Amino acid sequence: MAESLILIEHDRQQVKRPSLHAITLAQQLGGEYALLVLGHGMDGIAASLVSYGASAVVVADDPALAEPLADRYATVIAEAARKRGTKTILGTSSTFSKDVLPRAAALLDAPMITDVVAIEETDGSISYRRPINAGSMFAMVKVEGDRRVLTVRATAFEPPAANAAPCPISHFDFDAASLPNGMQFISREERKSDRPDLTEARVVVSGGRPLKDKETFERLVGGLADALGGAIGATRAAVDAGMAPNDYQIGQTGKIVAPELYIALGISGAIQHLAGIKDSRIIVAINKDPDAPIFQMATYALVGDLYQIVPQLIESIRRA
Amino acid sequence: MKILVSFKSVPDPNDVAVAGGAVSTPKSVINSFDEIAIEEALRIRERGEATEIVGATIGAPAVDEQIRAALAMGVDRAVRIDDSRALDPYAVSRILGAMVKKEAPHVVIMGKQAVDDDSNQVGQMLAGLLGWPQATFVSKIEFLDNKTRARCTRETDAGLEVVEVNLPAIITTDLRLNEPRYVSLPGLIKARRKPIEVLTCDQLGVTVRPLTTVLSIARPPKRAAGTRVESVEELITKLKQEAKVL
Amino acid sequence: MTDINNATREVFGNIAPWMRVVFFIMIAASIAVLVWQVAARVLLWRKGQQGGFERDWRVWSRRLVEYALAQKRVHKKSLGALLHMLLFSGFVVLTIGTTLLAIAYDGPYYFHHGWYYLIYELTMDVFGVAFITGCLLAMYRRAFQRKPSLGHNRSDWWLLGLLLSLGVTGFAVEALRMYYTQVQPDVAHWSIVGWLIDVTLLRGIDVGRAQTMHLAAWWVHAILVAAFFATIPVNRFLHVITGPLNIAGRPERPMGALVPLKMEEVEQTGRTGVHELSDFNRQQLLSLDSCMECGRCEDACPATATGKPLSPKAVVIDLRNLMSLGGEDVHRTIHDETLWACTMCQACVQECPVLIGHVDLISDMRRDLIGEGKLSGPPARALQQIGSQSNPYGRSNSERLAWAEGLQVPTAESNPSFEYLLWVGCAASFDPRAQKVARATAQLLKEAGVNFVVLGKEETCTGDPARRIGDEFLFQQRARTNVETLTRRKVKKIVTPCPHCYNTLKNEYPQFGGQYEVQHHSTLLAELVGAGRLSNSSSNGEPITLHDPCYLARVNGEVDATRAVIGAANDAQYREMPRCGKKTFCCGAGGGRMWFEEAPSQRVSHLRSQEALATGARTVATACPFCLNMMTDGMAGTQGGENVKVLDIAELLLNRQRRASR
Repeated sequence: MAESLILIEHDRQQVKRPSLHAITLAQQLGGEYALLVLGHGMDGIAASLVSYGASAVVVADDPALAEPLADRYATVIAEAARKRGTKTILGTSSTFSKDVLPRAAALLDAPMITDVVAIEETDGSISYRRPINAGSMFAMVKVEGDRRVLTVRATAFEPPAANAAPCPISHFDFDAASLPNGMQFISREERKSDRPDLTEARVVVSGGRPLKDKETFERLVGGLADALGGAIGATRAAVDAGMAPNDYQIGQTGKIVAPELYIALGISGAIQHLAGIKDSRIIVAINKDPDAPIFQMATYALVGDLYQIVPQLIESIRRA
Repeated sequence: MKILVSFKSVPDPNDVAVAGGAVSTPKSVINSFDEIAIEEALRIRERGEATEIVGATIGAPAVDEQIRAALAMGVDRAVRIDDSRALDPYAVSRILGAMVKKEAPHVVIMGKQAVDDDSNQVGQMLAGLLGWPQATFVSKIEFLDNKTRARCTRETDAGLEVVEVNLPAIITTDLRLNEPRYVSLPGLIKARRKPIEVLTCDQLGVTVRPLTTVLSIARPPKRAAGTRVESVEELITKLKQEAKVL
Repeated sequence: MTDINNATREVFGNIAPWMRVVFFIMIAASIAVLVWQVAARVLLWRKGQQGGFERDWRVWSRRLVEYALAQKRVHKKSLGALLHMLLFSGFVVLTIGTTLLAIAYDGPYYFHHGWYYLIYELTMDVFGVAFITGCLLAMYRRAFQRKPSLGHNRSDWWLLGLLLSLGVTGFAVEALRMYYTQVQPDVAHWSIVGWLIDVTLLRGIDVGRAQTMHLAAWWVHAILVAAFFATIPVNRFLHVITGPLNIAGRPERPMGALVPLKMEEVEQTGRTGVHELSDFNRQQLLSLDSCMECGRCEDACPATATGKPLSPKAVVIDLRNLMSLGGEDVHRTIHDETLWACTMCQACVQECPVLIGHVDLISDMRRDLIGEGKLSGPPARALQQIGSQSNPYGRSNSERLAWAEGLQVPTAESNPSFEYLLWVGCAASFDPRAQKVARATAQLLKEAGVNFVVLGKEETCTGDPARRIGDEFLFQQRARTNVETLTRRKVKKIVTPCPHCYNTLKNEYPQFGGQYEVQHHSTLLAELVGAGRLSNSSSNGEPITLHDPCYLARVNGEVDATRAVIGAANDAQYREMPRCGKKTFCCGAGGGRMWFEEAPSQRVSHLRSQEALATGARTVATACPFCLNMMTDGMAGTQGGENVKVLDIAELLLNRQRRASR
């Protein structure tokens, strides 16, 4: 079996850990795999990748690749794949990989499957499980053809072990001058938080009026969100009271979210808020009013004082 | 400036169901991200920066209803590529590539992904096939230098990025770009007079065969509503074992 | 002693014949100027679409008596109402008096003498005083009360000054005439003011001098009259002409019914609603000129009260100014946010003394905005969802009966020989909070043994939000579908807990062939309580108030049933809010605003909650699922309101039933 090529993402300083999860799928598929990084000044990053059991860490290092411009990156990735005889390119779903990999797939005349969460092998052929319809359904798909590109959902695969014997680092040569020139990077503005984007997070923890103030909101809602690796949301009342900024507002006049898990803290469940969460797969409501309307929509209801419950919850999750 | 907007007819997300291992489609709508693309094209035209907006979609005659909705929003004319097969993103991008060669637009705008398939590939693949610059997950578009370049703000995992792309280019839209206008009767009446051209892949000079096949579709077990839990421990246990979400 | 029968006065006594000719020419000219200006306005109104006027003479003559003569809408406990009564009655009587005098002078039979004359003189003097008092009060109010809604035009002081001068010079002329003609005291007493002036101010003046002064005063008065006539159209006084015209002309229609659009019209013009001024009908354009800028509509408006860019008065005045300038594009003058800010509570329409239909103006302009694709965001989503899921919440219509779980509520299908159809409404079907109202209502009806059913999945949105927001097309689709279902199920009587459904089913569905006996649940529940089939006697003894829903109390005039259901009359703890009954204050959700964004400082619901809190109530009862939603949110967000319960009257009644049966 030909060697797979795994695109690893970084932030110019270090590797973005979720992008390593694609390695786990490569291991499940079997066969050898090489890790690919593109950028400029990649020595440190390359060195940090040698223990993941790859056959090589392939580095495309050039000033022309200092910023992740899709036209250049896709060209280099396609070239590397061709030169190395790669049949399967993998990556972890992220805005970076989604920007770059489909273009590379087209350059290689290859089909691509986004957001693989599992694979199944039947009679020697592999089928891939992926979410569709905003995650309300799952499809099993198969691909044919000489090559394919896959991205995985980081949360569906364990991080790989970093205990293999070090592999060589190989510099990939390409003609930087002939790279496309139609795109120009201007600037970036990074959110200071590590938390995922509210509308795409798998887990959302949301707070309402009873959270009193900004500090308490951050401590309890933020604390629980961090324990679960989720995003923070808020009701209109909480936003009006200054507990959370405007872009955290979930509801009819705010954001509409559809996470796997939505935890509502001290939220009564006015219809305007429910409009923003109705497609969530699991809704957990914690409220001291047993008659709160949200309990009608909640999958799991816990009646009680959130000031007691939430710290317990955070503790239990951290311990587990 | 001529804008080509491509859009997809998808099952209404509020109404979609699974029947017999496949998605059943009682009602179809224009993919919401593509609606945002159409709205943006309209606003660009309203600013005086575009002169023609052409819509393109692939599908059976039934999707004419969605085409009329696009025309009702304000698209000038539309093309339906008649193909009722289940295509995959790569096949779609090849067909659209042929459309682009035929129409020669200055910019192609489409939704970043279709809300039924959620692949998020077509725009990028199309750009690769054409060798055009791309700006994906865009939340703001500005044209510069007498419309030879577009400055786009992109929504990324970490925050925002601003890039500039030479035109012609492919732009895919993200949620925060705009809020599409609501269309009512007068728009629908005007739409009746706008032309819908039907073409086949042959006429476009392209032959495609989908390389991806959907074997089956399943819904995860429907959540049981309203289970009361009495303690934090019970909640965590249920989330782990029953809901399998932790 | 003068022979009473001879008591009279000389007319034009001091005025030489040539002067009389000049006078008549002057007055004729000023009236011509008046008529010419009014004709110019009429030409402007004629630019509008034909029709829109009330045709039935019985209707408009009754209205003229009620609103123009009896001033029904003007009566209020306020300085403005008082001064208007004085001005109005004074002016009417003085005008009638002058006309009678002219008829006596010019006509075949001189009747201006004797007891008639004496009573005439007294009446004229008393009403002259009333008139002047009215002027003075108006000046005081304008100078010192300075209400913003009154508005200050340059012509206002001109008008008041002119009216006051007319009154004062009128008395001066009378006093001087009486003095120089040396009227006998026993007759002079009847012209009481003139007589008082004679014996105080004019005492001792030479008669000849008085006669000269009389002539001067007479001419001043005459010139002021001419000036007055000529300038009527350029100041507020125009309303004495246009006001009655609008009062008569306004078409008779239930307050809550908007005018349907004809689809053929839309096909032809490609337009819905009003885009240009001439898209309004002639009656609407006339109504713009009938506004006298009193500001009562603005004072009553919940949007204005919460700082939104909408004042119903400004809408009328701005459109009127556009009309005067010969302009056409209404959207240049009236901004989109102004139109979207309206909750269609109809408080403005209810207040207007000349019966202007502000809500219709706004609704017509909204229809055009929708047609032009100017709506996006949450309200657009609500409309889309009405179109595809048959309810604004985007829930699957198959979940319509989720609220009834465990209640065994019969459907029309399972029990075709029902008496009442319980029309649940989208809010009570899908909003978890309002579902409790549906449950309570159903349980109460069951306990009272009422033979009712629900439509279940066959029930779809009445289309009310679509119509209010401006998508008439979507509304008519819903209406036709629902009328078809109701006909098929042979529905005769409908009861519903939602005032918006109630209003639409009762007042608007007849436009599409649907005629039913529609009741709001308060009426039926009140009947059942009255008949002893339900018990409301065991209240919890806590202070309670009632928030009247606009579409029940104001728009449909129903205020008693809700109070009867909660036993307000027998409850010592029941108190009314200052703005209650038909003069209720909106919760903010009407006009489709349930789905619009509202800035925190502009929440109508918070304003209303403060009013409720001020009564000291611990429970706020209401009878509308939207009011329930808004007041719950408003109370929770208002200092001191956190522990106040907001409940529907059905929930309250059910609680009391339960308490009673324990």
